[in-house]
Amino acid sequence: MKMEEVSMSSLDNSKLEGLAQDILSDLVEDACLGLCFEVHRAVKQGYFFLDDTDQESMRDFEIVDQPGLDVFGQVYNQWKNKECVCPNCSRSIAASRFAPHLEKCLGMGRNSSRIANRRIVTGNNTNNKSESDQEDNDDVNDNDWSYGAEKKAKKRKSDKNPNSPRRSKSFKHKNSMMGPRHRMDNQESPRMLMKDEAFPQ
Amino acid sequence: MSKESRMRATVNQKLTEMGERERLKELLRAKLTECGWKDQMKAHCKEVIKEKGLEHVTVEDLVVEITPKGRALVPDSVKKELLHRIRAFLAQHAT
Repeated sequence: MKMEEVSMSSLDNSKLEGLAQDILSDLVEDACLGLCFEVHRAVKQGYFFLDDTDQESMRDFEIVDQPGLDVFGQVYNQWKNKECVCPNCSRSIAASRFAPHLEKCLGMGRNSSRIANRRIVTGNNTNNKSESDQEDNDDVNDNDWSYGAEKKAKKRKSDKNPNSPRRSKSFKHKNSMMGPRHRMDNQESPRMLMKDEAFPQ
Repeated sequence: MSKESRMRATVNQKLTEMGERERLKELLRAKLTECGWKDQMKAHCKEVIKEKGLEHVTVEDLVVEITPKGRALVPDSVKKELLHRIRAFLAQHAT
């Protein structure tokens, strides 16, 4: 690049920069004017002050800005450590775990039938509904919920999971604990749970 | 200098024709609302109106009161972002 070209381009750059600033200035002015028109129309049409009430009410409902409180002034994490009693099994469950627990406990959630099937099929090792059963199973289907059947459960999961939504096309019962998958379940050979094998056997 | 003014005219024309000006306007409006500028300015408007009287306030009154303050209150981040886009456009279409 020649020296003249360099200086020319820097001159151009400053001009371009100036141009950019001017364009920005125009845009900002435009925004301001737009606001003025909007406000003026609102004033003349009579709806500008519509959302204001008297001073006292405004003060009552003012936004709260203190630590530990939400904008309404309520304490927002006081339910974090509370415990609720499950109406089904009468156990005391932590509040944040309550909804998933209810799902499993009542047998009505998306995953509850799967877990129930597994439990039934692989025998009732731990017949009483133990802690790990209900509470640790939330996001990973087969956490270490039962000592003996763990390996079996893990193996079955890899067979079951890719298939389960599709397999029960004609027989999908949302609330039943004994889903159609159950019919195919064979204690000896979990490998039989293949996608392509049709239900009627 | 006329070369420059020609260049400016061309750029401005392109800006409008290609719809970029409109897009920039919308972007600016959205950003200003987001950052609370609009609410600030509205509050200022309320004061002006209370001062001048609801019945008698004119567009001119508002413009005179609002525009200088409005220009000054635009946050730097918004300005930077807009400038960035403008410069990109210029880089593409001004040379």
